[in-house]
Amino acid sequence: MSLRRAWTIAKAEFSFNAKRPLFWVWLLILLLCAWGMSTGSLQIGTGDSSVGGKKAWLTSEFSQSFQFAAVGLLFYGFFVSIAAGMSILRDGETRVAELLHATPLTPAEYVWGKTFGLFLSFLVVTAAHVGANAFFNHVAVTGTDAEFLGPFALGNYLLPPLLFGAPCILFLAGFALATGTLGRRPILIYFLPVAAVLLCGFFVWTWKPHWLPLAWDRVLMAFDPAGIRWLQRTYLDVDRGVDFYNREPVALDALFVWSRLGFVALGLCAIGFTQRRLAVVLRGAHPVRRGASRFLAPERSPLAPTSLAALGMRRGATSFPAQVASVARVELCELVRSPGLYLFGPLILIQTVGTAFTRTGAFDTPVLWTSGLLAQGSFNTLTLLLCLLILFYTVESLERERMAGLASIFAATPLRSGAILVGKTIANAVLCAALLLATLLACGIVMLVQGEGRFALGPFALVWGLLLLPTFVLWSSFVACAWTFVKSRYTVYALALGVLLLTGWLQLTGKMNWVGNWNLWNAVTWSDLAPLEMDRSAYVLNRVFALSLAAFFLGLAVKGFERREPDAVGRATRRRPKLFLRSALRLAPLALVPVVSGVVLALEVRDGSGGGALRKEAHDYWSANLRTWADVRNPGLASAEVELELDPARHGLRSRGTFRLVNDEPESLARFAMTTGPHWEDVCWTLDGEPFEPVKKTLLHVFRLERALATGEALDLGFSFEGSFPPGISKNGPRASEFILEGGVVLTSFSPSFVPVVGFLEEMGVEQENRTEPRDYPPDFYVGKTPSAFGVEVPYPVRVTVCGPADYVYNSVGVKTSDTVADGVRTVRWESDHPVLFFNVVAGRWNEARREGTVIYHAPEHAANVPAMSEALAAARRWYGEWFSPFPWEELKLSEFPGYAGYAQGFPTNITFSENIGFLTSARGDADAPFMVTAHEAAHQWWGNRLVPGQGPGGDLLSEGTSHFSTILLFEAVKGLGPRIGFCENIENRYAENRQADSERPLTEIDGSRAGDETVTYDKAGWVFWMLLQHLGRERGLAGYRSFLEHYEGNPDHPVLQDFVAHLREFAPDADAYDAFTRQWFFEVVVPRYELRDAMKERLADGSWRVTANLRNAGTGTMAVEVAAARGVRFPEGEEQGVLAAEPGGDEDPYQDARATVVLGAGEERTIEIPCGFEPVELVVDPDALVLQLERKKARAEPRRSASM
Amino acid sequence: MLSVRSLVKIYPGNVCALQGIDLDVPGGMFGLLGPNGAGKTTLMRIVAGLLEPTSGGVTLDGEDVVAHPEAVRARLGYLPQEFGFYPHLTGEEMLEHLLRLKGVEGPGGVKQLARELLERVNLSFASKRKVKSYSGGMRQRLGIAQAIAGDPRLVIVDEPTAGLDPEERLRFYRLLAELATNRIVLLSTHIVEDVSILCRRFALIRDGRLVAETTPSEARLSLAGAIFEGEVGEEELDRLRRTRRVTQAVLFEGTNRVRIYAPEEDPPEGFAPAEPTLEDAYFVLMQSVPAVSLVGAAGGRA
Repeated sequence: MSLRRAWTIAKAEFSFNAKRPLFWVWLLILLLCAWGMSTGSLQIGTGDSSVGGKKAWLTSEFSQSFQFAAVGLLFYGFFVSIAAGMSILRDGETRVAELLHATPLTPAEYVWGKTFGLFLSFLVVTAAHVGANAFFNHVAVTGTDAEFLGPFALGNYLLPPLLFGAPCILFLAGFALATGTLGRRPILIYFLPVAAVLLCGFFVWTWKPHWLPLAWDRVLMAFDPAGIRWLQRTYLDVDRGVDFYNREPVALDALFVWSRLGFVALGLCAIGFTQRRLAVVLRGAHPVRRGASRFLAPERSPLAPTSLAALGMRRGATSFPAQVASVARVELCELVRSPGLYLFGPLILIQTVGTAFTRTGAFDTPVLWTSGLLAQGSFNTLTLLLCLLILFYTVESLERERMAGLASIFAATPLRSGAILVGKTIANAVLCAALLLATLLACGIVMLVQGEGRFALGPFALVWGLLLLPTFVLWSSFVACAWTFVKSRYTVYALALGVLLLTGWLQLTGKMNWVGNWNLWNAVTWSDLAPLEMDRSAYVLNRVFALSLAAFFLGLAVKGFERREPDAVGRATRRRPKLFLRSALRLAPLALVPVVSGVVLALEVRDGSGGGALRKEAHDYWSANLRTWADVRNPGLASAEVELELDPARHGLRSRGTFRLVNDEPESLARFAMTTGPHWEDVCWTLDGEPFEPVKKTLLHVFRLERALATGEALDLGFSFEGSFPPGISKNGPRASEFILEGGVVLTSFSPSFVPVVGFLEEMGVEQENRTEPRDYPPDFYVGKTPSAFGVEVPYPVRVTVCGPADYVYNSVGVKTSDTVADGVRTVRWESDHPVLFFNVVAGRWNEARREGTVIYHAPEHAANVPAMSEALAAARRWYGEWFSPFPWEELKLSEFPGYAGYAQGFPTNITFSENIGFLTSARGDADAPFMVTAHEAAHQWWGNRLVPGQGPGGDLLSEGTSHFSTILLFEAVKGLGPRIGFCENIENRYAENRQADSERPLTEIDGSRAGDETVTYDKAGWVFWMLLQHLGRERGLAGYRSFLEHYEGNPDHPVLQDFVAHLREFAPDADAYDAFTRQWFFEVVVPRYELRDAMKERLADGSWRVTANLRNAGTGTMAVEVAAARGVRFPEGEEQGVLAAEPGGDEDPYQDARATVVLGAGEERTIEIPCGFEPVELVVDPDALVLQLERKKARAEPRRSASM
Repeated sequence: MLSVRSLVKIYPGNVCALQGIDLDVPGGMFGLLGPNGAGKTTLMRIVAGLLEPTSGGVTLDGEDVVAHPEAVRARLGYLPQEFGFYPHLTGEEMLEHLLRLKGVEGPGGVKQLARELLERVNLSFASKRKVKSYSGGMRQRLGIAQAIAGDPRLVIVDEPTAGLDPEERLRFYRLLAELATNRIVLLSTHIVEDVSILCRRFALIRDGRLVAETTPSEARLSLAGAIFEGEVGEEELDRLRRTRRVTQAVLFEGTNRVRIYAPEEDPPEGFAPAEPTLEDAYFVLMQSVPAVSLVGAAGGRA
């Protein structure tokens, strides 16, 4: 091999790449990326987000590794593949290859020379990228707080590209080179990066169900070319603290090293394979099929020529549609022959179906798919994949004549330029339609396999037909237009990929809105109850904008499509502004519709619920009133009476009512305030029946009383208004927690959606820029009377009258006292049979499922989970009533609302569930989400409604944590031990994944202000209450809970955790032990992590076994924990839960275990010994899930037989 | 009538391909003769409406081709110098597609017409084979078939006989001759024999300029009595090249058979008068006119 010749090839390749637009566009994108990353858009989720708290440095090796791994595949993958894949192919297209290979140049010199030249080019680009990273982080600091920047360390910038980037690049480049050289089809080159991005983005990096065995996890880590999964699973998923990430290097393990080496080896092997195959191809060796004719038929002797005139040829004008059809037909033949179709097609199907089977919903459970959810769920995937496919195929279509050498002949025909563009576009559109149909079929199969739900075409027609297809039309026309003007396939790729990346960037940074969201990424929300109802006008305008823009691009493309090569010199010297103006005027009609629709849409966004106008109004509300009204005591609500008229079809409402306000403070009350909503129109107020004009400070209405209200005195505040809700459209996709839609209505008294809110709402108008630090409470804040966490101190009676179309059911709190229908209008009255703190109205067209004092209102097509939910609701009413306190209201309802918001809320007697929670969650798996969520929300009837927590840290845990705890109890009572253990492990895993180790605070200090507070509030608190019950003993513990609830129900002093701990101490058998327990779990932050080592088993002389192992608490906290030596399947699938497997003497191995209890503090270890009457197969720490711990899966071991045996 | 007036084409980089061509082609076969890089292909592409000139005009039967290139495409049959086809279509499919794009039909329909055209160019045996398996000559024939399809008023063929064997070349000559009966056929070639056989008139182009426009017989007649032929050795040939105007030098049985142009002076010893050929006229005309560029000092380009 001649190094000199190889170097000549390498130099030529490098020189070519240095001049091509593709590389410059790529470089520009990377520089912009470096700048964007320096603003902190992508960083490790650790540290303390509060002001002055420790932050994760952008400049640490971990941060740079994470960034480089994340952007490596996305920003390098396509460009590297295109450059490498087309490298050798290009020489064939330009017909240089034959000349090159007619020289002494060998295939090895050629291929490796090309490879070296390519990698030199990649090195330069990477060096520029890394340099830009360092520059923006340390020199041109772009508005990032200094606390995000650490000291400069060269290794932090060099190692990540080397460890994470280089193997990935080598792998992709090697395979692209092989594919391009041997497949000789450009479209095949694009397949690998697309497949890699999709598989990684939608599966390898994100699929982490808690049940995934460790071995599979490690396999996925090894097969991730970017290394992200390894980084996440090894270092990032469990927070190790900001100091660790800021200062420590990324220590490699064997798995990672072998994985990296593997990808390097694969890349090099691909290049080597290319070299060998090229050598064979150049010799002209081809495999011969058995039976194929080896010799071509000889040419026949020439016939005597006959006159051309005898052919009777005639030429006529061909219509435009006929021309289009001709072009489209042949183009489609070429496209169908393209192997890319048979790679992209299955990839699209696999991705769509795979996502359907692996995507999880609430509580990490499989989704119960409906046609609409499938259509929406695959929307983003289809958009991305088909846009990429359209890009590649459109460019290849437009290049086809040039590549085939047919361009001159083609251009010399009378074929109209528009027919060429439209015909090719149609062919590509047919291709996309075929892929969509195939995906539709796949979705049908998903529904079939699922076994639940009816497959319907309507949702697909709506989502894919009306929303998705215009995206493809727009994208095709844009690509065609770009190609028409730049005439270079690589420049078009670079431009188009740049557009896609920019679009993605705007989405990630929250800057996208309806006007710019040309592909509706993340903007489509489906509800079976209210399909595309919210933001309907936005969808329409956006799609009109897209289609009209497509027409403009197409017109531009037709105008710019030069059949005739232009005279560059002549045009440069001849300035013809008139010509330019004339061309611009001709295109003006095409530009009119997109301009008008774009402007209208922009105005609607500005004036809509997510737009600038309303945001400003909310911000003004906050800034004008915060200092005056934040800590002002509000009058109490003595009663509320509301009459609500609903017009779901127009999203309209008319509300009037009376609040009886009472001064329950020692001081007299001279003024008070009420908050209204931005959608309130024609607002009228009365005081004690007389019209009153309050002072209006944006959305706050201040009532200055002529005569101050004395203590205990009350007044009647009347209000009326009308409006539509939500007001206008969102900024970038419908997401609202309350709404009035034709498909369903959900309104609450938490916000001024249908009634005013007493006082000032502190969170209204707060955004990132004006977010304040949470209030710092003194340690004894809870001493004395603690106000309610929910703003309203004392429950009150409420009467709600709702009227609207007769085919709706209207639910509110309390008991239904009347329900009449007249002239197509239904009027329903609800009255609370027990005072409440808040109330809601929910409406829909439902079926009912009644059972033992409970009723579930649900959409007719969402009946699959209703039996499970009904079981949970009835069981909750019964068991919680037994354990905590009898249910005081007459009936407990649960109502379904459209899934534009994904939450469930436990209003007294009237629980509301989004359709996506409970109704459309699969009951498969350990978690049994429908049961779980229903049990949790039902528990709020006690914890939150009757026991109102106090305002301050730890308060919310008495509502949410206790509800999770109640759910644990209910699981065990109704489902059995196995499902209870499963639920406990489920919430334990969520806590482990979501906790913030560095900033986690004790339970008594949790105020919901920090990242990680939520999982502590729900999951950890639920566990702690469960462990407390074990500590106290079941009977004592439940008695304590009952007593606590009874003491604080209706009490003006609202409890927080300190009150809870103090109250339950009376029920502890050992006060000191109780204090030790509560100190570490309520007042400190502890969580054990157990490790089992050296597990051995030894058969004794008497036939019994002795198991020994070393148990260490690698975490914190001191707890007594059981270790079980076990064999057999404890909870077989399909059998009655809680029953041990099989009968003794049966064919199956019955479950047995022997246990030992050990108390280990932080860092302690002990050798345990467990005598067994059987040969154990496994050691399990905490088999009954009684102790919260981290990495429970690792606290297992298989004991080896002792050597002495 | 095809009229070309003051046609200039300058490529970026000050490369002057055409320096003002004036030409009238009334009908029949018209040859464009010249060396490689003379500007023949540039001229033909402009006439075919595929290249915009820098200045000048082209009209076909009074229609301005430069301003409205689409007007000529409906009446054009074009065979470029280098071309290809969709590799995965068969010859028949490819021709049918082009016929449809041109709007050409026969009494038996497009398919029938395609088969008949393929028969005319002796490609019937390969009509069902994919184009990618065609030899160079077969592709050329397929190109010819599409160029002669329809009833083109103007047929432009650029180096059409490249890749054809002698038998096929003759066959093609007959086709072209028939075509030229009542239409304009513009034939570009650097093979003098093609012009002498086919063309009633021809133009000689060199370095973007029109050197001569005449008939083959006139060209030969202009050299009457001035062409001499003899046999010389290598050294003598070198001397003759330096001192005389050698029009042809062919190696024949070990010696050089040389023809010289001597209109006024006496021929060298051993040289006898010979009948002028078109090749003689070509070389004489090529050598006699120095190259002059319109813009700076630049070479011509075809």
